[in-house]
Amino acid sequence: MTPAPGPIRQTSHSELEQALAEEGLFVDYGACVVRLRSRLKGFARSLREVYGAFPFRPAAPFADLHVRVDPGRGVRRWLRPNARFSIDGVEPFDPFPLASALPLYEWGVNWCFAQRFNQHVLLHAGALACADRAVIMAATPGSGKSTLSAAMMLRGFRLLSDEFGVLCTERGALLPMLKPVALKNQSIELIRAFSGEAVLGPVHAATRKGDVAHLAPDGASVAAVRRPARPALVIFPRWREGAALALEPQAQEQAFARLAFNSFNYRLLGPVAFDAVADLAAACPAYQLTYSRLDEAIDAIQRLLDEQPALAGAEGRT
Amino acid sequence: MNAALDRLLRVLRDRAAARALSLADWDPVLRLGRQARLLGLLGHRLASDEALWSALPPEVRGHFRSAINYSAFRSQAVRMELRALDPPVLPAEARVVLLKGAAYLAQGLEFARGRMPNDVDLLVARADLDAAEAALRAAGWGAEDVDAYDERYYREWSHELPPMRKPGHALELDLHHTIAPVTSRTRADDALLFAGIAPLAGTRFWVLHPCDQIVHAAIHLFQDTELDGRLRDLVDIDGLIRHHLRGEADWGELRERARRHRASRMLWYALHYCASWLGTPVPAAGWPEAPPEPARRAMDWIFPRTCLPRLPDAAPGLGHRLAGQVAQLRYHRLRMPAGLLMRHLAHKAWAAVPTRRSSAGVDA
Repeated sequence: MTPAPGPIRQTSHSELEQALAEEGLFVDYGACVVRLRSRLKGFARSLREVYGAFPFRPAAPFADLHVRVDPGRGVRRWLRPNARFSIDGVEPFDPFPLASALPLYEWGVNWCFAQRFNQHVLLHAGALACADRAVIMAATPGSGKSTLSAAMMLRGFRLLSDEFGVLCTERGALLPMLKPVALKNQSIELIRAFSGEAVLGPVHAATRKGDVAHLAPDGASVAAVRRPARPALVIFPRWREGAALALEPQAQEQAFARLAFNSFNYRLLGPVAFDAVADLAAACPAYQLTYSRLDEAIDAIQRLLDEQPALAGAEGRT
Repeated sequence: MNAALDRLLRVLRDRAAARALSLADWDPVLRLGRQARLLGLLGHRLASDEALWSALPPEVRGHFRSAINYSAFRSQAVRMELRALDPPVLPAEARVVLLKGAAYLAQGLEFARGRMPNDVDLLVARADLDAAEAALRAAGWGAEDVDAYDERYYREWSHELPPMRKPGHALELDLHHTIAPVTSRTRADDALLFAGIAPLAGTRFWVLHPCDQIVHAAIHLFQDTELDGRLRDLVDIDGLIRHHLRGEADWGELRERARRHRASRMLWYALHYCASWLGTPVPAAGWPEAPPEPARRAMDWIFPRTCLPRLPDAAPGLGHRLAGQVAQLRYHRLRMPAGLLMRHLAHKAWAAVPTRRSSAGVDA
């Protein structure tokens, strides 16, 4: 056996660039492995910042998605240079400005994953775990689920994903899809102020979603990327400026409808998704959580988890 | 032929070959299979052998499971579309024939399980075409964005109307009145075609004679589609042959029908590539007359380079690009006579000059 690879943050810049230019960097997100190749100067720098805790793997036998991030063609190499994302030689969207190569890559991988991973129910949700018991935070975009996910990781929860609740239909387990957390606009400074341990990548000004910066997943979350968690609690978070903390229990059928509505592929999966989401809604208590202060919200979630009997607990890697 | 492509074909020939593949082998095989739009079909074949299925690496099963789920969704969309076309939408007296994917689905053909249909192809007799089109329009189907030239191209020289869509419906509808472009040298014998159709029990639809289904798939393979990624068409033909043709008499009928539809040459090539790549069993008496040797050699150079999927990691070599160009020319040459082809290409070349045309438009 070869020794486990060291983390990307301990890999030299030139080594990383070389891997990107040659066989590629193999990034294990848990639910999927991406082989990333790039001939884009400077891209390695932004990757190092937000993927510091991920192992440096310049070779692997298998990848689920083969993607590239490359410089613009022809005149776009020099004049207002841009970056292109491609998967299997196809460019599914328009190029981004060069400075936004990282958001382009992150967004591109999310898109490809949502398109191609229909073996799982993909909930639009943040997912975190404490002792392998998962909290699923389902919400529409803009409700602050990424910010709350980021804050929970910084308070010691294991981050599974800030975007995808990957529900394995056969086992009912939740799989990590551990990507850097995309923080938008005011959330960037909020999280920086929230914890001295927050490792944030460069701020990309004025992308399609406003300013974006990525929070690097921590070492503990990365180390557990292949460990599923058992769903234990469903939260529908709602940030309201100045609001007092409020928890409203959700009836099972209500939780079911809200989870199904906040899913990328519920319609596509039909009966498969119906069963999986119904089982989830039946197994987990669900609450709507209105909050204005992150720490209060996190304490409330921790208390709800502690109240739950630790049922099956750890699923373990299968 | 490279190793990954060889493995893909081997698994298509015999699913048991999947056992020998390592995770590293699967990586390019899955990519090629996805490009050829064959993952759902292959997934079904592998998943229906439980021992084989559970021996596959979990990552590989995941990709196949995803494709199976996706194809189930598309197949459901086809069924909904067919339900929407029941009378009174289409006139009850018109005999509406399902073609290709929709036909395989409605017939419940095992080989086509997991196939990913992208549209619904219907065939009506030329005499019923106007009524069928009018009925569809009245029910909300309409063609999108077709300019006057393309409209005329479809109506006078093609074998189908411009694709139609209805808002809120997932799939496109192609209404055909025969199975080969009317300008091509392959002229399907419509009388024979319609004399051979059979009603589909429990529905208002009909299907082609089994041999005509094979002939149609062969015509489609060489004349009708995008030039790339046609391995799936061969897999269809392979599946149809194995399902429908039982003995000498069936093969004789296939040869005879191909001859009367003037598609013997295409059938020969289809059988040739099916047999060599997919191991399709073709008895000696099943072969139509072989094409002359130089034509065969040319085809053997062009066809593998354009039909088979390829990994995009390396830019296509000169041979591949050249074969693509030649295939384009051949495709058009087969579809229409030279004079018409010149007119068509001249129009398309002119249409491809956007700045001159749009500035002329502004001046006017």
